[in-house]
Amino acid sequence: MSFFVNLIFANYQFETIASNLDDAWSFDFLNENQIIFTEQPGKIKIVTISSGEILNVEGAPKVQYASQGGLSEIVLDPDFKKNNILYLTYSALNESGKSTLFLMSAELSNNSLINKKVIFEANAFRRVPIHLGAKIDFLPDGTLLLTSGDGFDYKEQAQSLNNHFGKIIRLNKDGSVPSDNPFVDIPNALPEIFSYGHRNMQGLVVMEDGRIFEHEHGPRGGDEFNLIEPGKNYGWPAITYGIDYSGAVISPFTKMDGMEQPLKYWVPSIAPSDMIYYDGDLYPELKNSFLVTALKSRDVKQIKKINSLFSEESIFSNLKSRLRSIGISPSGEMYLLTDGRKGKLLKVTITEI
Amino acid sequence: MKIAKYPFAVLVAALLTVALTTPISSFANIIWLSSMNLPVNFFSSLEIILFDFQRLGIILYGIIIIEFAIAFSLAGLARKYVFDTKYLYPIAGAVITGLTLFLLVEFTTQTEILSGNRTLIGKVLHCFAGFAGGYLFYFLISKDRELSFIIRTLGTIYAYLILGLVLNWIFTPIIAASDFGFVFNELSSNAQNALLRDFSAFFVATFLFSILGVITLNSAWFFSAGIVYTCAGIFNLIAIYIYGTDFNQIFIGEFFLGIFPIALGTIISYQKKKAKV
Repeated sequence: MSFFVNLIFANYQFETIASNLDDAWSFDFLNENQIIFTEQPGKIKIVTISSGEILNVEGAPKVQYASQGGLSEIVLDPDFKKNNILYLTYSALNESGKSTLFLMSAELSNNSLINKKVIFEANAFRRVPIHLGAKIDFLPDGTLLLTSGDGFDYKEQAQSLNNHFGKIIRLNKDGSVPSDNPFVDIPNALPEIFSYGHRNMQGLVVMEDGRIFEHEHGPRGGDEFNLIEPGKNYGWPAITYGIDYSGAVISPFTKMDGMEQPLKYWVPSIAPSDMIYYDGDLYPELKNSFLVTALKSRDVKQIKKINSLFSEESIFSNLKSRLRSIGISPSGEMYLLTDGRKGKLLKVTITEI
Repeated sequence: MKIAKYPFAVLVAALLTVALTTPISSFANIIWLSSMNLPVNFFSSLEIILFDFQRLGIILYGIIIIEFAIAFSLAGLARKYVFDTKYLYPIAGAVITGLTLFLLVEFTTQTEILSGNRTLIGKVLHCFAGFAGGYLFYFLISKDRELSFIIRTLGTIYAYLILGLVLNWIFTPIIAASDFGFVFNELSSNAQNALLRDFSAFFVATFLFSILGVITLNSAWFFSAGIVYTCAGIFNLIAIYIYGTDFNQIFIGEFFLGIFPIALGTIISYQKKKAKV
């Protein structure tokens, strides 16, 4: 199969736009020629694609860069061209010195962040910043979704509605809670919660029709690709296809009434790190499929729905890099971010054979 | 045999501590799953306890052997030069177990690897497991041991290694298959059946051979297990070099699992021959 796949993608090339990136985590497109990206130690930078020039953005929030934490997601507001607003997620200590996940909105002006507002602080305090989730996407109604991971040591809390461990959060852009959130009227449940029973969710895609797809890291085995619906319980850690890193059983159960099954799961783990839905025309072989970057399998998984099943193919494995993020530019070109202290931003090009 | 009994006593004491330690995490997990109204029953509990004993335990076993070797050496010195009490080893076992679990969290991931160690009562129980290991060590070294003690110790450790494969193939064949490079769900139904049938029988049989060897000290059981794994290693190499399958390093493990019981069987046979003469 790999021989066949290599033939199909033989004309795909990777052009390095920027290199020596320091734990770059996420990126978005300011325009056709500029990409804004985060580095986990707490830096925001802008790279000009045509020249490779990199500028620092001033005013990044103070983060807790440790373990898996630091500055994570950066996403432009859907109306960025009008309002210059962007959203950031990061781990930091709150006023009481407790570590948790934060969501900030800010305005980008002359390569500086101004009007910074912390619009959400997760009620998910942890000893070390680990399993944060930290992905953002926007629903068609203008609200935003944020993934908040289970904090590793607090995995059982993913089944309780009185905290933000292992939850997908839905907020208005100002941080207020939408009145139609599924748990707003439930006593003792936090009103921001949209769905629960998640682990460490680093892939989130909202389709044009409003359907929400998410993927999350499993432990040893059990990475999941899910269709997210409001108010649903996705089972972690009560049901799982994985086992603990230590080898211990997390749960002998994989199914349970009232808990959702994944559309697809991976055993062994691929460590999925980001996801897009590609519906452009520039890469015809990839059209109408989900593209999931993977850290452990060091490739991109192309997931296509065929009849009622989701098939998967490994692509770009020739990069042999832990892949952190993926994105599509306004003109439809694909970019990949590699993981680690000497990361690269790559542009996927097609050459004539 | 006076000298040899000490390291083997450490191996046995550490195995007891593992056997007492892993159920603490298992029961913490079982209690939580029950509280979530999951259908926890005898068999699912047994699955958790056995898996934790083997998979979690095998990592702990290595750690506990090292910590006991250090702690019991120090306790031995203290016993010789400071004061002699039979409780020195148990106390050393308890202290070193508690200290190791604390340091494991502080100096590695800063996350709690053992779910059973999150609570105070869990920490106390882990220390008690170390105490029990120390007491067993004291019991084992308090009189001379025969060669059969060493063979039984090594045979038990051998069976313990294989137990993980047995449990994996019985309870979680998908994960077991992935460990061998198969994506189970992509295999045809017949292939799945063959895989489940043959692999389960292979590992269950060799596990039983080794347990029977430990109980009866009949060398034939150890030879049987050894021949099976040695053949697996040989045919693995034939598959790679004659039939052109991908290279894998599993043959190293297969030869190890083959040679180990053959060596035990050979020692038993030699001893029996010597006894007859």
